[in-house]
Amino acid sequence: MAALVEMKQITKVYPNGVVANKGVDFSVEQGEIHALVGENGAGKSTLMKILYGLEAPTHGEIWLRGRRVEIPNPHRAIELGIGMVHQNFMLVPSFTIAENIVLGSEPRKGRFIDRAQAIAVTEELSKTYGLQVDPTARIEATPVGMRQRVEILKTLYRGADLLILDEPTAVLTPQETDELFMAIRTLVNQGKTVIFITHKLVEVKEISDRVTVMRHGEVTGRVATRDVTEADIARMMVGRAVFLQIDKPPVLRGRVVAEVRNLGYVAETGRPVLRNISFSVHAGEILGVAGVEGNGQTELVEVMTGLRPATTGEILVDGKPVQRQSPRRIRLSGVAHIPEDRLTNGVALDATIAENLVVDRYNRPPFTQRGVLFPQVIRKHAETLMQQFDIRAAGPDALMRSLSGGNMQKVIVAREFSAEPVLLIAAQPTRGVDIGATEFVHTQLVAKRNEGKAVLLVSADLAEVMSLADRIAVMYKGEIVAILDNGPELTEEEIGLYMLGVRRQEIVTKAA
Amino acid sequence: MRGMAKFVEPVRILAVVLIALAIGFVITALVSKEPAQAYTALLTGPLPRISFENGFAIKNINRFGNWLEESTTLILLGLAVSIVFRARQFSLGAEGQMLLGALMTAVIALKLSLPFPAHMLLALAAAMIIGFLWGLIPGLLKAYLSVDEIVSTLMLNVIALQLFDLLLFNWLRDPAAGFVGTAPFPASAVLPLLIPGTRVSLMTILMLIAVVVAWFLMARTPFGFELKMLGANRKFAEYGGVNTKRVIALSMAVSGILAGLAGAHLSMGLLKRLTINLSPGLGFEGIVVALLARNDPRWVLLAGLFYGYLRTGAQIMERSSDVTREVVLIIQAIIILLITAERLFPFVQQWVQLRRSRGEAVVEAG
Ligand SMILES: Nc1ncnc2c1ncn2[C@@H]1O[C@H](COP(=O)(O)OP(=O)(O)OP(=O)(O)O)[C@@H](O)[C@H]1O
Ligand SMILES: [Mg+2]
Repeated sequence: MAALVEMKQITKVYPNGVVANKGVDFSVEQGEIHALVGENGAGKSTLMKILYGLEAPTHGEIWLRGRRVEIPNPHRAIELGIGMVHQNFMLVPSFTIAENIVLGSEPRKGRFIDRAQAIAVTEELSKTYGLQVDPTARIEATPVGMRQRVEILKTLYRGADLLILDEPTAVLTPQETDELFMAIRTLVNQGKTVIFITHKLVEVKEISDRVTVMRHGEVTGRVATRDVTEADIARMMVGRAVFLQIDKPPVLRGRVVAEVRNLGYVAETGRPVLRNISFSVHAGEILGVAGVEGNGQTELVEVMTGLRPATTGEILVDGKPVQRQSPRRIRLSGVAHIPEDRLTNGVALDATIAENLVVDRYNRPPFTQRGVLFPQVIRKHAETLMQQFDIRAAGPDALMRSLSGGNMQKVIVAREFSAEPVLLIAAQPTRGVDIGATEFVHTQLVAKRNEGKAVLLVSADLAEVMSLADRIAVMYKGEIVAILDNGPELTEEEIGLYMLGVRRQEIVTKAA
Repeated sequence: MRGMAKFVEPVRILAVVLIALAIGFVITALVSKEPAQAYTALLTGPLPRISFENGFAIKNINRFGNWLEESTTLILLGLAVSIVFRARQFSLGAEGQMLLGALMTAVIALKLSLPFPAHMLLALAAAMIIGFLWGLIPGLLKAYLSVDEIVSTLMLNVIALQLFDLLLFNWLRDPAAGFVGTAPFPASAVLPLLIPGTRVSLMTILMLIAVVVAWFLMARTPFGFELKMLGANRKFAEYGGVNTKRVIALSMAVSGILAGLAGAHLSMGLLKRLTINLSPGLGFEGIVVALLARNDPRWVLLAGLFYGYLRTGAQIMERSSDVTREVVLIIQAIIILLITAERLFPFVQQWVQLRRSRGEAVVEAG
């Protein structure tokens, strides 16, 4: 089989001196699903941006169907049949899905967009590739999973034969991921080729034909997926054996650290989002919260951390009520929070790493003494944490904006773990994080638990919850429908029944 | 890397300024019969001349004074704007705060009789307090009722101007004066002179202190950190525990203190009375200074001196040549355009890129 795309000796040096790609050879064959994996900052997105004409390579050549091509901009890439769905979506929120899909080359009726035609085209595409969308819904009102399907349809509408998907599953629920995989298979059956970036090795095994592994800007391996195990791929990525399974000593449950009683939250729109939620988290345990995304987990975390006001009920931390208090008061009572959406509230992109690391503690000694702030102490603090948590960046003064996704997450983890909390609330702590860093976050969470801290772990990744949690609370439509002891006899299927609302525990309110 | 950035930034701004001056010269050459002379007046006018003809003497000290006087006001206003801009609050209220500051000094100066320095200090304090309060209003409106600060501060500017005129006409006006204005302030409420032959007063020293205080506030206090985090990402600041409502309100109020002082400078230092049309639009010149200085108080000092020099030179050029000061307005406009355009550049680049990819208005969502 001839290679569809061949990238030869690609080197990319960013203006700030970062060498993101070093002499990379990369090839994709016609009709395959090719996984591209590697640690955060390995240079995967950069390589794909070069292929899509978003970044110019410093050196190197691109060959397409046996011919040398120049791709100076995405317009050229699209002409050549290359489409890309980015890590961060690029859609117009106030437009409908159909409008977004046809934008740029709209069907016209005189001077106006032919809306009916746009909708028809969208439905047609949607049916052909099995990607369900609602053509008339506005982007701002659609869930992430659908936005992603819109992005894919958009590239298909523009005639892409080669689709580049940059971490498409990072934002998806397991169900949505399954749907996406089905769609990808349909695409390939119809003669398309797909490049797929992910941090989840399960997905690599499940969907890809071949894998290219990158590390520190270089290709460290190119193999047929069926010839390797997950552990093999992990080793190629990290350069050492990675423990995909975490060892946990038996749980030593201590006092109740956090108690939630009859918590309710009604959104501004009047919709009840959380209903009658009661549970407690003990010292020395990890309580996992499972559930299909959008069943109130986000709001539960935000209410508990003071970012939204509870409508009814009580939250006690170490016996003291903290509901409806400011985030600062809640932090001071010993709660730390790894937020689900790191770009919205986890980091300030235009501030330095050092500043990001002290946002919860800048006003206390040693950073502030007698009303005076000491920037040098803040830098020192950052240097220590960067080393301790292996944050890779130019230095403490580097802007957050210049970090790769995984390193950003490490900054957040470093800040929240070093806050020495009694209760750590971790929402999607490993989303978009490479396996080395995932392993790191997991061991750290377990270490906190072993130290006798209480951990509340909210994750859309059921496998993550099952491998870490001591007990699992399942949320469905704003309620906790079950609290289950985690153990070898608990199966994914059983949790699934609760997650889908098929089953519910009657004693759940008392079980708290 | 950081060292580079620190170095590149001033060079870039210097380049912008030089380009603007060059364009200004071209325009001068187009409108003037004697462009070289006019431009020399603009560029060297504010400097004093040292003469040795009849023994050592410094001439034109008043021009040099004009430069320092102008810069003092501009720097105070530039500091005021920097504080709100650092927090990404687009308060345009400096104009109104300045007017009311001047108004309050007149009330204290003319309606109270106290010895120096108590009288002067009280007048200064009154200007600062009214500035604080007049800034606090839009601050509270924004923080607690989400009222857009651009709109509210512009409206408050109008109200401040009306108040100013009302009190001046009906209460403070000196009927004996041949124009609409108050009687001269008593000496006890006038800022002591620093350089004889000019109007450079104690306020220039207060301004230097204000630069240091503003720098300290922004770089070395928790409040300054909060300002910066608020400016960088409000949701992040909230998540970290910053009381963003308080910081929003305070940023505008603290900024008002400095604008109020600028007003006191006009009345107690320069005019030594209050007149109608005190100084229309001066409040907005603070924005230019803050933009040039990238909201850094240390650079505000330099930017204010530069901008004050340009404005003084423009007045001199107007008096001593056939070119009007509009040329300087053009230079100002070019500077503002180039500096803001440079900030817009990354957005433009992205936009063009997406246009090319048969693109669209780009909004990140996801
Ligand atoms: N625009 C940029 N300017 C400067 N440096 C950049 C830029 N984009 C990326 N980098 C740097 O280049 C390196 C590679 O980044 P890239 O985004 O390609 O990594 P990645 O493999 O996609 O990582 P992740 O899995 O975290 O998304 C990183 O060190 C990153 O900090
Ligand atoms: Mg990436």
